[in-house]
Amino acid sequence: MTAAPSAPSRFRLPSGMALVNALCAGWSGLVFLFLYIPIILLVVYSFNKSEMSVEWGGFTFEWYEKLWNNGPLIEAAKNSLIIAACTTVLAVILGTIGAWLLYRYKFPALRSLSTLVFIPMVIPEVIMGVSLLIFFAVISAPLNEWLATFTELEFQRGFLTVIIAHTTFCFPFVLVAVQARLFGVDPHLEEAAMDLGAPPIKAFWLVMVPYLLPAIISSALMSFTLSMDEYIVTVFVNGPQSQTLPQKVFGLAKKGLDPSLNALSTVFVVATAAAVVLADRVRKLNR
Amino acid sequence: MKTTRLLVALALLVTALPTYGQAKKKQVLNLFCWSEYVPQSVIDGFTKETGIKVNVENYASNEEMLSKLLAGGSNYDLVQPSEYTVEALIKVDKLEPLNFEAIPNIKNIDPKYMKLPFDPEGKYSVPWMVGTVGIVVNTAKVKTPITGYKDVFDGTHKRRIVVLNDAREIVTWALATVGVSANDLTPENLEKAKPILANWLPQVKVYDSDSPKTALLNGDVDLGIVWSGEAAILWKKNKKFTYVLPAEGAHQFIDSLAIPKGAPNKENAEKFINYILKPEVSVLVSEDFPYTNPNAEAVKLLKPEQRANPASYPTGEPKLETFKDIGKAAKDIDVLVTDLKAAKKKK
Amino acid sequence: MQAAIGVPETSGSRRPGLLGWLLMTPMLLWLAAFVIAPTLILLVYSFCQRDDLGQVVYAFTWENYERIFFDPDTGKFGSTYLTVFLRSILYAGLTTVICLVVGYPVAWFIGRAPEGRRNLLLTLVMIPFWTSFLIRTYAWITILSTNGLLNSFLVDYTRLIAEPFEMLYTPGAVVLGLVYSYLPFLILPVYGSVEKLDNSLVEAAFDLGAGPVRAFQKVILPLTQPGIVAGILLVFIPSLGMFAITQLMGGGTEPTIGEVIQNQFLQARDWPFGAALGMTIVLLFAVVFWCTSRRQNALEN
Repeated sequence: MTAAPSAPSRFRLPSGMALVNALCAGWSGLVFLFLYIPIILLVVYSFNKSEMSVEWGGFTFEWYEKLWNNGPLIEAAKNSLIIAACTTVLAVILGTIGAWLLYRYKFPALRSLSTLVFIPMVIPEVIMGVSLLIFFAVISAPLNEWLATFTELEFQRGFLTVIIAHTTFCFPFVLVAVQARLFGVDPHLEEAAMDLGAPPIKAFWLVMVPYLLPAIISSALMSFTLSMDEYIVTVFVNGPQSQTLPQKVFGLAKKGLDPSLNALSTVFVVATAAAVVLADRVRKLNR
Repeated sequence: MKTTRLLVALALLVTALPTYGQAKKKQVLNLFCWSEYVPQSVIDGFTKETGIKVNVENYASNEEMLSKLLAGGSNYDLVQPSEYTVEALIKVDKLEPLNFEAIPNIKNIDPKYMKLPFDPEGKYSVPWMVGTVGIVVNTAKVKTPITGYKDVFDGTHKRRIVVLNDAREIVTWALATVGVSANDLTPENLEKAKPILANWLPQVKVYDSDSPKTALLNGDVDLGIVWSGEAAILWKKNKKFTYVLPAEGAHQFIDSLAIPKGAPNKENAEKFINYILKPEVSVLVSEDFPYTNPNAEAVKLLKPEQRANPASYPTGEPKLETFKDIGKAAKDIDVLVTDLKAAKKKK
Repeated sequence: MQAAIGVPETSGSRRPGLLGWLLMTPMLLWLAAFVIAPTLILLVYSFCQRDDLGQVVYAFTWENYERIFFDPDTGKFGSTYLTVFLRSILYAGLTTVICLVVGYPVAWFIGRAPEGRRNLLLTLVMIPFWTSFLIRTYAWITILSTNGLLNSFLVDYTRLIAEPFEMLYTPGAVVLGLVYSYLPFLILPVYGSVEKLDNSLVEAAFDLGAGPVRAFQKVILPLTQPGIVAGILLVFIPSLGMFAITQLMGGGTEPTIGEVIQNQFLQARDWPFGAALGMTIVLLFAVVFWCTSRRQNALEN
């Protein structure tokens, strides 16, 4: 039995809007073109024989070979993926639960709380990086002393600190997106589920989450993107064992961007496109 | 379905965390250096010869390195400061004196690059690469002779110039034209620089410290005041890009290796320094970064084409000066340049 | 209609029970450790002085804030930093408006697309942003530079113009770069609102005789307002602090507030002043945010 009552009425283009919708479709096509022009360029130039210049020097796979052999760059890419994945998971959990709790309950000092959540989005990246750097430095000595009493592990700048930093500025995005979705939601949705005997957490899971899913997915996508591309904060809180892709790329840019970076981008684009198509197929199969 | 997704995600989380505890048992070296300034071939060679694993962390500016070093909470064994930063670190006693018994290859360094004012006893640093800041001219577009800063900014090349995005450099150039030393940055001297820069800055099209060669290669500018390494790369690409050391005086910078105080793997750091001082290894660095190699033995091994590069190995008797640490004046310079940049009316 | 960000309309205005507080604790702890504590550190720093190395010296002073608001020579209100700040606001505002105009129709299109397609289209919007920011920007530089693709196309291939057109290192290039970077940040939230639009409301508007423009003004716009507001905030605020694009595509000739702050830590060695600048931005937004959410509450009650 489906937990959610039926969604708003099925889509049926009303007359008069047909033209507007067609125009929007056309406009979107143009915008997508705009978004993809540099990407197409990157892909094409990843096969260009001549380095550093605009002319076409001939078709070649050498940049992909160079990329394959560039151990540190690939490792940096892996690090970035791991960090982005963890960040997205944490951000979604914190943000969704936070938004829902703020919606459901009237917490004291609610406005201050909302403002606080807002701060990581507003703060300039350098400021955030520096303040976290100092914070981690201050707590590392006493923390390590405490840790040494029962474990070999040590607190150092690295994966953990980067994930923390990224999550801190990603989860507000999730929170805001989910909150936006919560406005005007039918309050009886949850109550109906609970009246039928479901405990609050189950009601949340089976009723709210599906409803919130579009907001969660879109903000998860945004979190992942933000984390993958984040440079400045990462610079300040990272350590030598977890150098990320943006850090590596920035460094390479100083030497002169060579097309193996284009090759890397192409690999990313192709991999993501493939993953998306795959996910789509899987979903269709599950229906 | 959804619970399994959650579990997978949690598993990811858990696997990521322990990685920060690793690498404590093996022999390691924590190297903190400029982005892409130490070729991978050098690092791999070192690991192969000694078995020591090298963890590399990069920075993009001296101040960034200073910030992270001084904030604490991390264990760097080797850093790569520029000359004035070496001086600053010595002043606050943040460097370990080097044990030259462990670095016999120090004899390969050309003596004229040791014991310079920023490290007078030569105790704390070993030169990595030497360079200058000078003028690159696209001779295909610029037909008039360029001998110094005044020629660059004489008004005929308006908006066809790229310069470093470095306030200290910019102020130094202005002061050089009125005969003031790069290290004499008193408020009175800075006042002298103001009108000069007010005239110069509107003529600049691009400020870029990271890759000024891009603007030159793309034809967006014809002249540049850039690092000699950038100029050398340009010359290698196309001989039309000549390099001129300004007659009024140029900045000679020396990037060095140094060991921060409290480094956990000091002996490994010294081994590394000794390794890169080997001529055949030093040559690898020159391959990637055509700056001036201070290793006299390595220079002998360079190819004639590399020696001929006017940006890497300038000829003549140029007027050169190294930077000293200027302490508080760093702030004044930044204020000066920011004010001028912001006050510029849109053309 | 309420803003997306703000005090939420609570379903029952219930006070939280033990379970509520328990579930809230992780987020509260997180905020305390990684937002409040670092911000406080910076606040303290902004009132400190600096030593030769640029590190903080714990001696109280107002001078950092004075420098932001008052001209050091004349003592009057108005300083370089305010000018820089205003210019950054201008660019950010322009970017936001353009993103809104360009992005809203796209969000509409995606939100009204058949259900299976929507996630696909959203991901298509995001994919370009999984390549590195720097590489994308350099791609634009390759396109727009004097020897670049666009100019080659115009001059050599189609001979539409005689001399290459200088597109790069202009304010226009900067705006292009900014819009390119922040467009998805507008599309995603607006999509969220469009997607949950109740079609029957729109149909009702038409049945009552409204044309498309009227329907948009009176029905669609108000209903998608939460998404629009969220989108505006998500574009405006980050683009204020952005400086990489002004440097890479604009040549760095006009300093932005983000660049100035960056400089304090990475060149000028003046951490306290940098902290003060950062704090000013944060406080400004906190105040604006606080006031608007208060107004929303007042409107509700």
